[in-house]
Amino acid sequence: MIIAGRALLGVVVLALWQAAHLALGAAWIASPIDILGRLAEITASGELLRHTQATLTESAFGFLLGGGAGILLPFGLRLSPRLTAALDPFFAAATGVPKLALAPLLILWFGIGIVSKVAFVAAVVFFFLFFSTLAGVRSIEPQLAAAVRVLGAREWTVTWEIAWHTALPYIFAGLKVALPRAISAAVVGEFIAADRGLGYYINNARAMADTVGLFTGVVLVTLLVLAIDAGLERLQARSLAWRPLARDVGV
Amino acid sequence: MSAAAPPVLEVQRLGKRFEARAGRAEAFWAIRDLSFVVGEGELLTIVGPSGSGKSTLLNLISQIDGPTEGEIRFREQAIAGPTSGALRPGWDRQFGYVTQEDTLLPWRTLGENVLFPLRVQGGLSAETRQRAARLIQAAGLEGFERYYPHELSGGMRKRGALIRTLVYDPPVILMDEPFGALDAQTRTQLQADLLRLWNLGRKTIVFVTHDIAEAIALGDRTLVFTRAPARVQSEHRIPIPRPRDVRNIYVADGFAEMYERIRKELE
Repeated sequence: MIIAGRALLGVVVLALWQAAHLALGAAWIASPIDILGRLAEITASGELLRHTQATLTESAFGFLLGGGAGILLPFGLRLSPRLTAALDPFFAAATGVPKLALAPLLILWFGIGIVSKVAFVAAVVFFFLFFSTLAGVRSIEPQLAAAVRVLGAREWTVTWEIAWHTALPYIFAGLKVALPRAISAAVVGEFIAADRGLGYYINNARAMADTVGLFTGVVLVTLLVLAIDAGLERLQARSLAWRPLARDVGV
Repeated sequence: MSAAAPPVLEVQRLGKRFEARAGRAEAFWAIRDLSFVVGEGELLTIVGPSGSGKSTLLNLISQIDGPTEGEIRFREQAIAGPTSGALRPGWDRQFGYVTQEDTLLPWRTLGENVLFPLRVQGGLSAETRQRAARLIQAAGLEGFERYYPHELSGGMRKRGALIRTLVYDPPVILMDEPFGALDAQTRTQLQADLLRLWNLGRKTIVFVTHDIAEAIALGDRTLVFTRAPARVQSEHRIPIPRPRDVRNIYVADGFAEMYERIRKELE
């Protein structure tokens, strides 16, 4: 039922798209059929693989770096509430910095290669995961921690057993927001200065007034985000199977 | 408890004061000048009005929290008092603690929860696993080992929490209204289970409740606490012989009289 509804909605969207293309002209709106053709073309030429690979690599490294730090740091800070309190305004200030505006600066520092994009992705992703994980670590139930200590657990076990499991749903909520942003950040970085990547492809199409290319690039980025999100959903369903409402978490 | 055997647990002039904080105008004493002893293998029940510092007392004994004044001695060694150092929850596994809210880990199955203390204490062996399996069976939880706590009934979770404490065999078990939130039938069943399990090992148990009938049905001796700050108002030896039939405890000789006495004191 849901699947049929989805398929119907998809057809309607595509039809409206095609109608807009016919009404406004090929220079403004690319036809879905032309985009399909372009996709086949760049798949055959190897361009698709090269650009997607570049964007994915930048996103993945940046994500591991920024996400890893964002997830691990709150667990370290748990051991010193005073340090956490002292650092609070600094984290707030750092969050306030518009990350997009950092992109040119990072390119100035790290060059137009992969390193500047990795740094940019890491900066964007870090804050999403840091704050959601911090909220998770802070929502530990004191009775649960006390009970586990009475049973003979040491601090390490309390961290692993209680803090990690309590924070996990929060971490997934953070990932849900951060993963699409990681891809977007890589694409934006490529807009500014790059010689490959989906952002580069889109920007290049813009420079050539290639409307089909522009649309194809956007479609590709969207598909990439959708694929990653689907993977995340499966991981979440597996990791949070113990939750009473695991099946409603993704809503 | 004979005079010769030293008590397992001695509480001497214990006091606990909670400091004032926003939303609570003044500091108050939950417990003050509280003294009693618990003998080896004794099942001591404590009744008192709600908010009379009973849970606070168990938190102090189990070292989740520290006293403001007074002393707690375990086997003649001072374990908590103004001079003792950092808190050691559970005093190195000497105290088991079954709380009002069951504290099973929600992300672990019942079986994993029961084995959890053994795992963190490094005591997991074929022998202890067998012991855990026997306890699970004795509590009627066989077949539910792979269920998560939220998939079990309240009574099953309580049994799970109790077994999780029994599995590592602490000499003293503290119980804080463990059957409070259950329906009458499940509750009687669990009381009977507790007495049966206690009979197997004869642990020392300190059982806190606000239910007079429960205190009498389970205890060798019952302490009646005053309103906060809690002190011992009176002490009663329960004359009902064991083994007891908790389902029909109301018709046991001496029950009605004891119930009436304690009820009057609590008024």
